Amino acid sequence: MKMQFERREKPMDPVERPRKEDGPKKPDTDRSRDRLLKKMRKVDPKQSEKYRQRTGE
Amino acid sequence: MQRLIGIETEYGIIREDVDESDPVVESMELVRCHRRPFRADWDYSEEDPKQDARGFRAETLQQEQEELDFEKHDRERPFSFHEMKSDLMLGNGARFYNDHTHPEYSTPECLTLKSLIAHDRAGERILHDCAKRRNQILGIEGALQLYKNNTDFHGHSYGCHDNYLLPRTLPFADLVTHLIPFLVTRQIFAGAGKVGVETGHHYTQKGFQLSQRADFFEVEVSIDTMHARPILNSRDEPHADATQYRRLHLILGDSNMSEYTTALKVGTTSLVLQLIEQGLAPKEARLEAPVSTLRAVSRDLSLKQSVTLSDGRSISVIDHQRLYLEAAQKAFSKGDAETQWILSHWQSTLDALEKDPMQLADRIDWVTKLWLLKTFMEAESCAWDDARLPGLDLEYHNIDPERGLFLSLEAEGEIQRFVTDDAITQAMDMPPMDTRAGVRGLIVQKFLKNIHKIQWEKVIFKGNQAQGVYRFDDLFDDKAIKAEIHRLNQCTQVASLLAH
Repeated sequence: MKMQFERREKPMDPVERPRKEDGPKKPDTDRSRDRLLKKMRKVDPKQSEKYRQRTGE
Repeated sequence: MQRLIGIETEYGIIREDVDESDPVVESMELVRCHRRPFRADWDYSEEDPKQDARGFRAETLQQEQEELDFEKHDRERPFSFHEMKSDLMLGNGARFYNDHTHPEYSTPECLTLKSLIAHDRAGERILHDCAKRRNQILGIEGALQLYKNNTDFHGHSYGCHDNYLLPRTLPFADLVTHLIPFLVTRQIFAGAGKVGVETGHHYTQKGFQLSQRADFFEVEVSIDTMHARPILNSRDEPHADATQYRRLHLILGDSNMSEYTTALKVGTTSLVLQLIEQGLAPKEARLEAPVSTLRAVSRDLSLKQSVTLSDGRSISVIDHQRLYLEAAQKAFSKGDAETQWILSHWQSTLDALEKDPMQLADRIDWVTKLWLLKTFMEAESCAWDDARLPGLDLEYHNIDPERGLFLSLEAEGEIQRFVTDDAITQAMDMPPMDTRAGVRGLIVQKFLKNIHKIQWEKVIFKGNQAQGVYRFDDLFDDKAIKAEIHRLNQCTQVASLLAH
């Protein structure tokens, strides 16, 4: 099954919204998916192995 | 919503161009890439992390031995304590420094959700700007990378703390009774999601869970923050008049990338605190075993597992949150616009979680991350044991817009926003003018060269022009803040600022 973004109807926000968010908008899911997959495939497979941190709070 | 709130975020930091790097030096150098010059001016004299909100002073903290070991190692470095900390109070009222080997950005005290979210995002962008400058100095593009997350997938966690100003008259015991249960199930919408499970320093790549932090909490209440972490931290460090106020220092939460998730996390918590203050918190919501429930809830992606209440009954995790939501709806139906937003989106989020969590892929962090991972797994025909998944989890939190997976989705317009980019840009330089942070930020902007030491609640001036301490421990009244900002704008000399 293909995963998709589904935007649901929601109450109007009382807070100011960015102009580009005005009104419901159907995302261009396939285009986003392709670009994201390209980026995800570029991630170093050993990325998390090399990532070492010290304990914080 | 009118409550003073701030968020502290410890960022993950790594040099990708070398096999090993010193996180103390890297964090220190990162902070010093900020355009505000470093001058060793943080005042630690009144801080006491052993003061316990339960009414006593702890004899010891569990992290002390580790701290002593760090200090021993630190003494081998050619830097003083203050140099390593590299504390900066910025002109926007925020604090930026090296805390426990992580660069930490603490937002200024904010009164509204919009202001808080703008300042939290401003912190991300300030740190990214500093990383770019650091990489220019190193001469290697992308050498230093920063992550707004909470784990290294090797059992080391670092925090994102949400802080709330409360009246001292509110007994800490009431928070223990009524807030802990809410926090345990808050993660169903506030979690940032994690691939795998961490037990001690052991990582097992086993599926996906709702929260980055749930694996690291072992007790219900304690003053500790680095070992045997508590769901409710009892550190009593109000950074305000201690006779009138307490600061609730919540260390349980995940670092959220989504503005919407942060707004819902902090907004709902603030309303629950208001319920507790007014004696209206749902008494039946107490949990039988909060710590084990915290982990069980985090590991149940179906959200179908029941939680056991202290009276022995079982209810669904979503219905547990609804106990708080319904109490808040009854109490605050006539609240201001932000309160209405919180109530409305709290309800719609719980409804969506019950029906189909994937509906929230454009706003709730753990769902967004799960969607990304499932998209990848489907395209690559791989399963949860694929070695690339923890790295993708990490890159979700990268704050470089060129690399970060969340920021890429946001740039594509696929993520629900809560504030505008203009508001974030403004917050990078300007403090919130409706809280005492406005006064502190303007003092830094106008009189930095005269500041000897600074803290959240005071500025110590020293020099030929004027000496003295300017305190704002109890500057919380709206009119008094406006009047003080007006007076500050008229002041051209420190002497005139101190003369009142």
